[in-house]
Amino acid sequence: MGSLSSSMWLAAQALEADQGALDATSNNIANQNTPGYSRELAIFTEAAPTIEGNITYGNGVELQQIQSVRDQVLQLRIGEENQQQSSAQTQYGALQQVQNLFSSPTQGIGADFTAFFNNISQLSTDPASLAARQGVLTAAQNLASDFHSTEHNLDSLQSGLNQTVAQNVIQINSLTQQIAQLNEKVGQLQRLGQDPGTLGDQETQLIQQLSQLTNVNQIQTENGLNLTTGNGTPLVVGGQSFALQTTAGPSGMTDISAQGQDITSSLQGGQLGGNLQIRDTVIPGLLTQIDNLASQFATSINSAQASGFDLKGNAGQPLFSDTSGPGAASNLTVAITDTSLIAASSDGTPGSNGNLANLLAVQTQALPSGANPLDTYSSLVSQTGNLTAQAQADVTASTSSLNQLNSQLGAESGVNLDEETTNLMNYQRAYQAAARVVSTVDSLTQSVLDMGSGVTAAP
Amino acid sequence: MRVNPNYTPTILTDLWQQQAQEQNAIQELATGRRVNVPSDDPAAAAADVQNHALQSQVDQYLNNTNGLEGMLQTADSTLSSVVTALNQAISLGVQGSNGSLSSSNLQAIAEQVQSIQSQVVQYANASYQGSYLFAGTVNQAPPFTLDSTQPSGVRYNGNTGVNNVEIAQGRSIQTNLPGSQIFQGAGGDVMGSLQQLVTALQSGNTNSIGAATTQLGTALNYVSQQRVFYGSAVSQLNANQSYLQQEQVSLQTQDTSLVGADMAAAATDLSRSQTAQNATLAALAQIIPQSLLNYLK
Repeated sequence: MGSLSSSMWLAAQALEADQGALDATSNNIANQNTPGYSRELAIFTEAAPTIEGNITYGNGVELQQIQSVRDQVLQLRIGEENQQQSSAQTQYGALQQVQNLFSSPTQGIGADFTAFFNNISQLSTDPASLAARQGVLTAAQNLASDFHSTEHNLDSLQSGLNQTVAQNVIQINSLTQQIAQLNEKVGQLQRLGQDPGTLGDQETQLIQQLSQLTNVNQIQTENGLNLTTGNGTPLVVGGQSFALQTTAGPSGMTDISAQGQDITSSLQGGQLGGNLQIRDTVIPGLLTQIDNLASQFATSINSAQASGFDLKGNAGQPLFSDTSGPGAASNLTVAITDTSLIAASSDGTPGSNGNLANLLAVQTQALPSGANPLDTYSSLVSQTGNLTAQAQADVTASTSSLNQLNSQLGAESGVNLDEETTNLMNYQRAYQAAARVVSTVDSLTQSVLDMGSGVTAAP
Repeated sequence: MRVNPNYTPTILTDLWQQQAQEQNAIQELATGRRVNVPSDDPAAAAADVQNHALQSQVDQYLNNTNGLEGMLQTADSTLSSVVTALNQAISLGVQGSNGSLSSSNLQAIAEQVQSIQSQVVQYANASYQGSYLFAGTVNQAPPFTLDSTQPSGVRYNGNTGVNNVEIAQGRSIQTNLPGSQIFQGAGGDVMGSLQQLVTALQSGNTNSIGAATTQLGTALNYVSQQRVFYGSAVSQLNANQSYLQQEQVSLQTQDTSLVGADMAAAATDLSRSQTAQNATLAALAQIIPQSLLNYLK
């Protein structure tokens, strides 16, 4: 049965609900620029009605819950895209430095090869000339020193990446620890059927940050979220996080292990994956090629030297030090300082240039690796160029799809000020109306109270 | 339908992209090169390395050609002096063989021929930048020394070695003839004939003077034939020079089409990206203040 007190109670309930909705709206407005914030909706429901005979009385409104608007699937896609984009970005940054070592057509190992052979060609016009012989030795030294500096630069780039790898692991461990703490609370709320709200936003945000560092798999279980690396190594299970360990590997590079098992080679994606890719695959591949080039070139030149005679008529000695294996390019040195030791002569006479043709032939003959020295070098140029261009294209593609996904998510979860302002006005009006109900019921109650006093007060 | 209310990150990415395009266009215009790092066009960058190697190789071939030309011209003009000297000796021989001269006159002529002989030896010991031209490949010491114990009056210290020098890709040129071939060849022995003429003049025998003079004539013809080698080598080098200069030009043209910037396209790109950037900025300035709140008082 309807009564004034129940109307009063209904209005009070409406005031409370509208206040809650105003709270949600002002929280939305306050967080409109907070990264990872999902807008909150105030969910109103009708209170259970009272049925008396034929009449069903509405019992007003209840604020059922304040719900964050999220899209789990979109979040997963964004995580995936985040790790791809960070990986590409990291690789692009490192590869730009790599390709700079090969970017000049007039400097570096390639130009040094040509200068070396040009000096030999010059010597062939006057094989006894000490100046021309000095020219050959100087060109050989320039070549050796550019081999050194190229390898040195790649080495220091690699050890720079190695330090970043260790930092990435520290960041990952700190993130998984924070996520585990939040995950426990979020799990508790979810088991109670409550919206995790801001805690959920924070957790999602941290998972996105983690995705920027490495590839993360998310598995939703009854007890909350489980996070693993791409190959299934657990990172977060419920409220517990598992730290990754770093150890110094045999080659001086940092290895990453989980629970005592080396997982370095299985880590992909994100900054860590990008760094590992360059550190463990790209740079070692280039170093091997440069080492092979240096040692095969030195061997070919030395064997051409051996087939001739120096200025004094003695059999030709090696021009370069014998070098092979890892670090061959760094160990390449010019073995002779005496210009007369260049074996120009084919018959031991000082004026013969016959053996220079054998030295010059190294320029055009294929090395054991399959191509002549300059072709081998220019293939390094196109390799680094292709890798960098590929990484650049990956960055562009993943950035644009990340933008698209973020914009899709923004459409879903972002705070629209116009909408919030409209809601604000709605809830304000509703609150005002409910307040008016209270004052109306109050004046009605006054009238009821006045009924008796009016009778007694009549003269 | 809800749209993303926070569009600034997307627009910022667009702006960065436009700025990157703008910088790219400016770099192209500034360097005149389309390919500034290998990733701009990996295949062209690798081909550019080859192109520059070829260009500097052609430069070296030109250096070789110019250096050799100097040397071969010196050899050629030396041989021309030899020819002049031999002509003098022949006319002295003809003078001595006509039988009307006294023995003291013959002795005087013999002395003149002797001095021509030592002159020819000097010519045969001609050097270019420290290397003896007619010594084969033993070219660090004078190839001919006067030696009366030898039938020809001189001793040859050189060898029969010849050098070849590459003057274009796959093209070599022989750069010397051994002195023994020029001055003591089977077709005519300059040194031997001169020595015989001296001996014949000293002996005063008209017949042997005549025979020696005839022999010297043969030797002169032979030397002139040998001289042709140097003459044709010089003209070969001249032809090679213009070939290499053409090669330089065509390699440079190739390089430009490989990595050179299309200036007109780069300038158009620059103004296009600037226009796009201005439009984006103007749009941003328009949109950002717009909100329902502006209309509520």
